[in-house]
Amino acid sequence: MSDALEQLLAYKKLGTVVFDEQFHIVEADKRAQEIFVSIGPRLSKSNLLDFFPELIGSEEFIKQIIHQQKSDFYLEFINRSTDDERATYFNLLVLPDEQPNHGLLILENVTDQALAAQELNQQRYELFLYKSDSEFRKQFLSESILGNSEAIQLIRETIQKLSKFPSATVLLMGETGSGKNLAARVLHYSSMSADAPFVEINCAALPEHLIESELFGYEKGAFTHAVTAKRGLLEEAQGGTLFLDEIGEMPLNMQAKLLNALETKQFRRLGSTKSIEVDIRVIAATNRNLQNEVEEKRFREDLFYRLNVVSMTMPPLRELGADIMIISEYLLKLFNVEFKKDVKGFTEDARQILLGYSWPGNVRELSNCLERAMIFADQDTLDASELIISGTQARPGKHQAHQWTVPPGGIVLEDVERQLIFSALEQSGHNKSKAARLLGLTRDTLRYRLDKYQLS
Amino acid sequence: MASVKKKICLLGSFAVGKTSLVERFVYDRFDEKYLTTIGVKISQKTLPPIQVPNSGQMIQHTFLIWDIAALSKFDSVVMNYFRGAAGALVVADLTRPETIGHINEVCDRFKSISPDAIVVVLGNKLDIFKEDKKTLSALKTTAADYETDFILTSAKTGERVEQAFMNLSQKIGCPQ
Repeated sequence: MSDALEQLLAYKKLGTVVFDEQFHIVEADKRAQEIFVSIGPRLSKSNLLDFFPELIGSEEFIKQIIHQQKSDFYLEFINRSTDDERATYFNLLVLPDEQPNHGLLILENVTDQALAAQELNQQRYELFLYKSDSEFRKQFLSESILGNSEAIQLIRETIQKLSKFPSATVLLMGETGSGKNLAARVLHYSSMSADAPFVEINCAALPEHLIESELFGYEKGAFTHAVTAKRGLLEEAQGGTLFLDEIGEMPLNMQAKLLNALETKQFRRLGSTKSIEVDIRVIAATNRNLQNEVEEKRFREDLFYRLNVVSMTMPPLRELGADIMIISEYLLKLFNVEFKKDVKGFTEDARQILLGYSWPGNVRELSNCLERAMIFADQDTLDASELIISGTQARPGKHQAHQWTVPPGGIVLEDVERQLIFSALEQSGHNKSKAARLLGLTRDTLRYRLDKYQLS
Repeated sequence: MASVKKKICLLGSFAVGKTSLVERFVYDRFDEKYLTTIGVKISQKTLPPIQVPNSGQMIQHTFLIWDIAALSKFDSVVMNYFRGAAGALVVADLTRPETIGHINEVCDRFKSISPDAIVVVLGNKLDIFKEDKKTLSALKTTAADYETDFILTSAKTGERVEQAFMNLSQKIGCPQ
């Protein structure tokens, strides 16, 4: 090989493998070994096709190249990613070698280009889905609820079933920040055509006197400042979904009016005597226990039963286990784009913090925590010291620590440890993975201590 | 018993479920999350032996399955993906009838490189397909254009996935 060609190959970081017409490897250079080491065993002087099954089927064509009857054979973006999600892509080019009856295989690592192309294609695909109007779109929408836990799968399945009944009223329950709003949107877009309206009202955000005019609209002159007529949200939602967020905050007198509209499927604008018929789906959401609110006479029992046709409870983040990392990594991607950063992941300590914290504010709190961390991030990975939870800087295993003091008479440390392990098991419903997380331990360490204290 | 390695291509429009079919057949798993395929990924699976009717000989195929990204262009680089293939499963999404219309183009390109290769047409996503005669008729007509079968599959549930690969193995081993 000429010096110039060797220099060019080195400059472009291309590896070379020389092989004979029986496809035996004669020589593999250092760069080829380096490229190949991430995808398979060390290239040795055995059959080329054992290392590159991509060439099987094209042997005759390659022999023609070796004998200079054809010019080249090129394969682009061969994916050799492994199951542990380490991506590796390379390009293969076969040329005739300088030695007679030999071929030269040139190997190029193109992982970065492939991943960039994949990102672009993924975005094109998602854009296509938003514009499409098929079962396919429903499938995609349900995927936007992230996670693989049983609880999340159940939510996806429930939404899929409910999407076939676009007029069914649904009551979404769950803690604040647990994704009720997202679930409502996914349910709406899965059930209805792409142009059906999704109209949202936050019952806690509007003063009592405005809710009625917002919901039902008004006629010109209905009250002092009603200089023009206005359509209410019920009318705006015609043919689509009305999402009543924080329904538990709705004043009692408004609850009666809403119930009437839901029962009769008609209402009147303020200042009007004319009834307007509506065909809408109602999705209501609350973080309160509405049954308790009914018992406390703060929520109308009849409205509760009208809304509670089908109910779905969004699981709190702390119960989603490994899904916390799936959501965290997704948020990391978003913030990378937003803040033009390239943070690749989390340190082990940061992972332990994210998995171990109880997240009372759920995904909203997680998102705020990561956003804050990403603003100040200047390393490749986010570390525990960059995660600030509930106003305090997190430390692995100490993020929720109490101030313990030893009583004057002293304690037996092992008794305390035994009691804490027992308490964690009780809190986690004897789920060892969850208990280990509560204690900031690995599952193996917990198992060791369970054996030690004969708690298993 | 003769043991033979064969190159098989999975072809079709984007997101019809080509990767999911391979994942189901080779690893018996399914992932709800869709990730676009870039380039090509090769998986390998040995199929149960089949008997050649005339000779009575038993042969066993090991399929080198080329899961090829949906192609928007058919230049010489892309055509190399097809070179040396013994067969192809050409996949359409039953919930997107337009993907059946794309089969002819990709099949013709494939056949121009590997004229003797066998193709079998698959209608995937059977689990969410609301049966309609028009879609099935279009699939049947397309398969007839290539004098082959069409099989309805679901990579999600696994329904008829193995049957599809076995059907191709049978046709390759015992060409008409």
